[in-house]
Amino acid sequence: MQAFILGISNGAICVAYCSPILIPYLVGEGGNIQRNFMLIGQFLSGRFVGYLVFAVLAWGINKSIIHAGGQRELFIGFAYVILSLFLVAYGFFHIRPSCSAGFLKGSLQKAIHMHPAFLPAFMGFATGLSFCPPFLLAVTGAIEKGSLLGSMYFFFAFFLGTSLFFIPIPFIGVLRRFSVLPIIGKMATGIIGIYYFYSGVIMLIGAVKW
Amino acid sequence: MVKSFLLAFPMMVLTFVMLSGGRMSDDPKKMVAFAITFLFVNILFFLMIRTGKTDKYRSILFISYAVCFVISFITHLIELRGSMAISGANMVEGLTPFCHIVIPMTLIPAALTKTIIFPGTIIGGFASIASMFVLWIGASLALGRGFCSWACFFGGLDDGFSRIFKKPLIKNINLKWTYLPYAVLFVVVVTAALTLSPTYCEWLCPYKTVTEFVEVTSVKILMQTIIFVSLFIALVIVLPLLTKRRTQCGLFCPFGAFQSFTNKVNAFEVRIDQEKCVKCKRCLQVCPTFSVDEGSINEGKMRITCTKCGKCVDACPKKAIFFHVKCTPLNSTLDRYRVFFLYPAFLFLTTMAGNNIQDAIVKTIRLLTTGSMF
Ligand code: SF4
Ligand code: SF4
Repeated sequence: MQAFILGISNGAICVAYCSPILIPYLVGEGGNIQRNFMLIGQFLSGRFVGYLVFAVLAWGINKSIIHAGGQRELFIGFAYVILSLFLVAYGFFHIRPSCSAGFLKGSLQKAIHMHPAFLPAFMGFATGLSFCPPFLLAVTGAIEKGSLLGSMYFFFAFFLGTSLFFIPIPFIGVLRRFSVLPIIGKMATGIIGIYYFYSGVIMLIGAVKW
Repeated sequence: MVKSFLLAFPMMVLTFVMLSGGRMSDDPKKMVAFAITFLFVNILFFLMIRTGKTDKYRSILFISYAVCFVISFITHLIELRGSMAISGANMVEGLTPFCHIVIPMTLIPAALTKTIIFPGTIIGGFASIASMFVLWIGASLALGRGFCSWACFFGGLDDGFSRIFKKPLIKNINLKWTYLPYAVLFVVVVTAALTLSPTYCEWLCPYKTVTEFVEVTSVKILMQTIIFVSLFIALVIVLPLLTKRRTQCGLFCPFGAFQSFTNKVNAFEVRIDQEKCVKCKRCLQVCPTFSVDEGSINEGKMRITCTKCGKCVDACPKKAIFFHVKCTPLNSTLDRYRVFFLYPAFLFLTTMAGNNIQDAIVKTIRLLTTGSMF
């Protein structure tokens, strides 16, 4: 549930900040809905693979923290507090994280002609690994899980949450009033950030987290 | 005068039936309460018809309703359980009264699991789930988001505070904040579906401060209590005082956001006659729920969040704003549309408010005569 909600806020941020870069390339003007769906499908599978890589990484980090005998609760609680503050700032104020697929912008035009089939998947992979706060919070959450399966499950739920926001993209031509959705999504992210801040503080003061 | 009386007369008959519930009590206190309430609502309705002003008289009844609801509710709880705090055992027994704000959160879990994620009684009893759903469906069809100015038992609180000062101390509010209720709605609907619990009630609802709340028995409940009390102070008292707007209803309430969509299926709307409008923006300044923006003035249509309170209609110096029945010719000179709207809206308000006002009067008489409300 935590992962799904974080996924939602990640999706909201991605759509709000990455869509200006992605949508013109992915969807293109006048593309039909079926084709757009295929592109979004490839894009999301790229993302999914990226998340699985991070699930393994998170599990590895967890093992290292425990093996190093470090203060696990303190580390995770601290990460929650800091990252959630960023989430609140992104959600409610005009702070623009850059989209990690941004670097693709220049070379994109050339690449799109060379490998048209792989490009959306690669973009999915790249944007999925954007180091924005919800993603980093998800990494922290997955680290907390402990087992490889738990960590993978966490990222799977996170992936489902982020995907929610990409479903309307194929209909973009149809949805003319799309502009308010990123605003609402961003604010929802801010609210989720407040919850994570609370969770982090509770963890830091050593109380039991629900 | 005669015309106004004739137009108000059917309302007298209807309110008599609704307020008496079909039978007169022989308790003198209740008879006095009935007479006062009956006179009070019918004088207000007559004045609405006679003067052509809507919000001026609506707000008196709406605010009285909210205040009497709080008095009636709290005394009822204290009589029933001796405290405003609800214990775990009471919740298991389903003694929590159902409130309309929970409705958006219950829909997905009800569709998926066939259960209502609220610890209240389904039928019978005080504010049961079934009765609240029926009321909500009826009000949505009849009023759309007019529910928030004509039926909600909480709306009168921030409405009341927003009228205390003559001028707003904070004027420029970025309209982007009017999307916050949709974000709150989105978060509470998703979290309620995932956790199968009414997350808004648990964490955010400011009105728990003046109704009932969970007994503080853990750090988590303490945090929840701090959150909802702070939200009450900020959104229902301080910001309405400073901005002269209904900030809880316009900038936070997820039910209000949800209810806005019912404006699409409702027959009534508030419109601006472009030919009469001189773009003075008075309507934009007075709308308590931020439902008028530049676009509304240019297009002659209010935003989807309009609660049909009539404040802009009363305030427009050119009488350019009017109540309208969809699919009929736009005509700002006809008062007929307003009367068509006032009948269901006022009857709804009287029916919802009536019992609470009568109960609060009975309890006040008891307090004055015996020194105790019970
Ligand atoms: S108050 Fe009346 S005249 Fe002034 S802008 Fe609004 S509709 Fe136009
Ligand atoms: S637009 Fe007018 S009727 Fe609608 S909520 Fe605002 S003041 Fe009330």
